[in-house]
Amino acid sequence: MTVDLTPADYPLSINRPELLRTPTGKALADITMAAVVSGEVTAEDLRVTPETLVLQGRIAESAGRRQLGENCRRAAEMTAIPDAEVLAMYNALRPNASSAAQLEEIATRLEGTYSATTCAALVREAAEVYAARNLLADDSGEF
Amino acid sequence: MTAVEPRPQTAEVRASKRTEILENRPVNLDGFVEEWPEKGLVAMESDFDPQPSIRVEGGRIVELDGRTREQFDFMDTFIADHAIDVDTCEQAMAIESVEIARMLVDPRTSRADVVALGRGLTPAKILDVVKLMNVVEIMMGMQKVRSRRTPANQAHSTSAKDNPIQVAADAAEAAVRGFAELETTLGVLRYAPLVAIGLQVGGQVGRGGVLTQCALEEATELDLGMRGITAYAETISIYGTESVFVDGDDTPWSKAFLASAYASRGIKMRFTSGTGSEVQMGNAEGRSMLFLEIRCILMAKGAGVQGLQNGSISCIGVPGAVPGGIRAVAAENLVASWMDLECASGNDQSFSHSAMRRTSRLVPQLFSGTDFVCSGYSGVPNKDNMFAGSNLDTEDYDDWNTIQRDMQVDGGLRHVREDVILQVRNKAARALQAVFAELDLPAITDEEVEAATYADSSDDYPDRDVLADLEGARSVMERGVTGLDLVKVLERSGFGDVAENYLQVLRQRVSGDLLQTAAIFTGDFVPLAAVNDANDYAGPGTGYRLSGERWEELKKLRHVTSAENPEEEVV
Repeated sequence: MTVDLTPADYPLSINRPELLRTPTGKALADITMAAVVSGEVTAEDLRVTPETLVLQGRIAESAGRRQLGENCRRAAEMTAIPDAEVLAMYNALRPNASSAAQLEEIATRLEGTYSATTCAALVREAAEVYAARNLLADDSGEF
Repeated sequence: MTAVEPRPQTAEVRASKRTEILENRPVNLDGFVEEWPEKGLVAMESDFDPQPSIRVEGGRIVELDGRTREQFDFMDTFIADHAIDVDTCEQAMAIESVEIARMLVDPRTSRADVVALGRGLTPAKILDVVKLMNVVEIMMGMQKVRSRRTPANQAHSTSAKDNPIQVAADAAEAAVRGFAELETTLGVLRYAPLVAIGLQVGGQVGRGGVLTQCALEEATELDLGMRGITAYAETISIYGTESVFVDGDDTPWSKAFLASAYASRGIKMRFTSGTGSEVQMGNAEGRSMLFLEIRCILMAKGAGVQGLQNGSISCIGVPGAVPGGIRAVAAENLVASWMDLECASGNDQSFSHSAMRRTSRLVPQLFSGTDFVCSGYSGVPNKDNMFAGSNLDTEDYDDWNTIQRDMQVDGGLRHVREDVILQVRNKAARALQAVFAELDLPAITDEEVEAATYADSSDDYPDRDVLADLEGARSVMERGVTGLDLVKVLERSGFGDVAENYLQVLRQRVSGDLLQTAAIFTGDFVPLAAVNDANDYAGPGTGYRLSGERWEELKKLRHVTSAENPEEEVV
């Protein structure tokens, strides 16, 4: 389903709630205090889905914010990655933290395991720049 | 701080009585230095800054501000590949800087047009434009290009003793006074979970729709956000030179990845940067403070983060010490807004002993209006401000409200009656008392609740058992307590309205609405962003005007004499 969105659709929570679902498939209106107390709504429900992030990215782009739209697309890919692994990948992107091979391994995993192609592209781009600016960790075994 | 002792008067030189008075004025405790452009100790006018240039080949920027691609450092590469619009840049760069500066000031040029043009400009060109603008022109520009139509404000709620009850009570008071966002940080980092819970619970007592954050190192800050104990993040620092960026243990790519990580959890986030940070960290690479800050702004834009906290922030003593420095700080806020980012415009860390200087530093942002005039305003006495003091604090509340009324400007606050303030402070402390009891954390006594209701500073509270609290803080993290757990606890302890407010904040993550530029909540939880509340200023009579119910609210002060009976005060 492709939905054309414009700034007039924002906020989605008010103007287009029918487009929104929690990761477990509940509607926004299902997140009530009664459902929280009964345990029907869990912390898992209070997360954004990749579909919603893509919708927000389209709104951003329709308002002329190309880069914010791209960020939403990368974020949509990242929803599948567990919290700890997201943090580990971030740490691996710090300067002098990873070798070229290690960064390529992360890019491959992003692509293969999570279908996160735009995130993988960002990591490969970083690897290229880090190589040029001497910000890669030495490969273990070299020197 | 920039304080130094006044120069001693030697016995031989007799000074006039007037000089003695002037020597003793607070402004003479401030630090001032000469410019040193070779080291980057210069606000915005330096012969060592590059000349603007751009060249595109094969759909790629191959020259940026005098450097070819082989000479690019990583800031140049990131800005060229992510921030600048390749299709429009050559055309945009061909326009005379003075023409662009006039477009920024002239209300007949729309925000949309000047923002679109800005997408094609390089850092040196942007600097060339804003260098032409005096401070009033900068304010004219800001009034038009800030992204959200309705201005807002942010408070700091911290405690010199990391006392969570104090943080909760002051958060509740700040919320009821009108702040849209509340930020805390710690003296002892391990206290973070308890203080962040205090901030969140207190904020939701004050009014609906308040967003909270806890400034920590990147990984812990993200962790608290993912658990739903905080609602947004801001202290994601970026820098204008490659060497200082690397010293900060990050790169534009690691920060861009982090920006997406926050968005992937539905959490609002902005970066932080500011003039003076590079020279303070010892590697400005001979560029002016504003040139380097403009690189930060373009880096943030390229990363696709919705906003930026800038306005020198914790380095304000540096631009504050050089000629034209505070003008440069106003200009950096202008550029962030012009680049279509949410701007939380500083006016936070203390930089001057002079009340007049502190007020004058605030004028460009308060009078033009910004997305957050302060980032933040100390909602606690200065000695309790753990962000190293603040330009404005709780003692200034009535002055702020009076300036809003005098100038008919909206700085996001309002006067609140004493009985209401006491009521929300008391309720915040009681709500936190219930949360601590339910979570089996070290008890909050009735004596502490009473103290929180009437206190000013951390001195007015009974001391906590710090070791027991730290043990409790550890257990909160180990048990994996989430925001939803806190909602449930509040609901079953009789604080249903607070629980409902908190649940609404967590619920918005599902919609992602707070990820749009400059998003805040109204008191009724309607998201207000630069999408549905886009700034439409187009000259006199347009844009945000203080009128109607809000203006009536701002006419109220602590003491206003009745027109009908001069013996009475209006309540």
